[in-house]
Amino acid sequence: MKLLYISLTIAAIASSTLTSAYAGPRNSIIAGFASEAGKPLSAKRGKDFFMGKHSGGKPGINSCTSCHTTNLRGMGKTRVGKPIDPMAVSANSARFTDPAKVAKWFRRNCKTVLGRECTALEKGDILTYLATQ
Amino acid sequence: MTHQDQNKTTPQTIRVWDMFVRLFHWGLVATITVALTTGFLMGSMWINSHVLVGSIAAALIIARIIWGFTGTQFARFSDFIKTPPHVWAYFREVKNQTAARHIGHNPLGGMMVVALVLVILGLAATGLVVFGGVLKSGPFAGLSYATGDLVKELHELGAIALILLIIAHVGGVVFESMRENENLTRSMINGHKDRRKGDAPLHYTGQTRSKPFLALAVFGMIAALIGGFVSQDTSTRIQNPPVLVDSYFQAYATECSDCHKAYHPSLLPAQSWTLLMSGLADHFGEDASLDAATVASINAWLQTVSADQTDTKPANVFRQVATDNPVSISKTPFWRKTHYEIAETTFENPPIYNQSNCFACHSDAETGWLYPANIKIPTAPQKESLN
Repeated sequence: MKLLYISLTIAAIASSTLTSAYAGPRNSIIAGFASEAGKPLSAKRGKDFFMGKHSGGKPGINSCTSCHTTNLRGMGKTRVGKPIDPMAVSANSARFTDPAKVAKWFRRNCKTVLGRECTALEKGDILTYLATQ
Repeated sequence: MTHQDQNKTTPQTIRVWDMFVRLFHWGLVATITVALTTGFLMGSMWINSHVLVGSIAAALIIARIIWGFTGTQFARFSDFIKTPPHVWAYFREVKNQTAARHIGHNPLGGMMVVALVLVILGLAATGLVVFGGVLKSGPFAGLSYATGDLVKELHELGAIALILLIIAHVGGVVFESMRENENLTRSMINGHKDRRKGDAPLHYTGQTRSKPFLALAVFGMIAALIGGFVSQDTSTRIQNPPVLVDSYFQAYATECSDCHKAYHPSLLPAQSWTLLMSGLADHFGEDASLDAATVASINAWLQTVSADQTDTKPANVFRQVATDNPVSISKTPFWRKTHYEIAETTFENPPIYNQSNCFACHSDAETGWLYPANIKIPTAPQKESLN
């Protein structure tokens, strides 16, 4: 029994350290978008953008959900069927912690879905929304 | 025709085809039937079965040659290989309807045995060369694709010759059976033939039973030969192997497997890779852009491991790209030729999704080998049925 308590405590400490280790970089990425946008970010706007339909992108893809699906805690799928890890931070704590990856995928996927790059406000809103999911 | 040379101990019923000859004959019928069917009708995914039955047929032929020098009376080459003037004379007798009946092979039948043995030996030899050069498998895996592809023509010509010989052989058996009013096929099953008046002279030696120890030794050799050929690992003993997945350039391995499995670099020529890497902003309908430095480093590596530097079959056939779309493997002439029978819907639906998803059906696509026996077209996922 003692052993169980000890291991539970260790697990709890480890997981909280891990979560906070990820939370730092993610928060600074989001803060970067906020300062670039010069406006407060909104999870509500982020949700509408992520779930909504867009135009101007590549044929056959008109929404973030085309590949990521509306179930943010589940796996998405690329057009050739390769699985995409969940977008919701609660299901995938490593999400949005690498600035280079965030930049790469916003650049690519905004162009694919909208035919243009996203604004800092749009990117900040989306991350604010997904961080709470 | 007199009967003076048939001594009194010659039995009326002769065991003309011993057990070994009969097993050989029907074993050859079975293996050649499967080899011709898999080779001409069933496509390359049956290559393993084709090579297996081909190896057994070759081993049977080699055993038969040994038997031709050491076996029973009517199995020996000396019993039925006649000089050309003899064969010609017999042919004229058949034409004039004066030809005598033979207990063993008649001179024309003897020629047929020799022809079949030679053609099947040739097929086995050319087959091994094709297996080595084209598929980089078996004892000749070190040969070039060009050699294998060239010899493939000979292998196919040999197979057509074999079909013609089989037709002639069956025709000869039917003709002779009707001419002499006997069932020669049954003789090849029970081994017996009855002597008749007017038969060609027979020097009966009484040596008509299989020698068990010799037969055992010959069959042991057959088993060893088959084991040796078939156990050749299809992924080893090759020259110019494609670069291993584990030793990919790091950026290629990570960047190119973000959205799809990384394609083996030997599947497109260097020029196509350059074109593809310069157009990542519209990569088959999707933005897959990368920073210029990463693009340059990946492309520099691709130039050293492309189809131009590889001698596998996929590298050789996909080097020939479509002029209007040099970056799509699925637009190459070879791809189209080999995939046209598969329905559009099979490609579009799960679990394949797209013609670009080689990995769905070719279990070894990631390695660049695409060995034909590793093809398995998956069935669409079924809705759970009510029990």
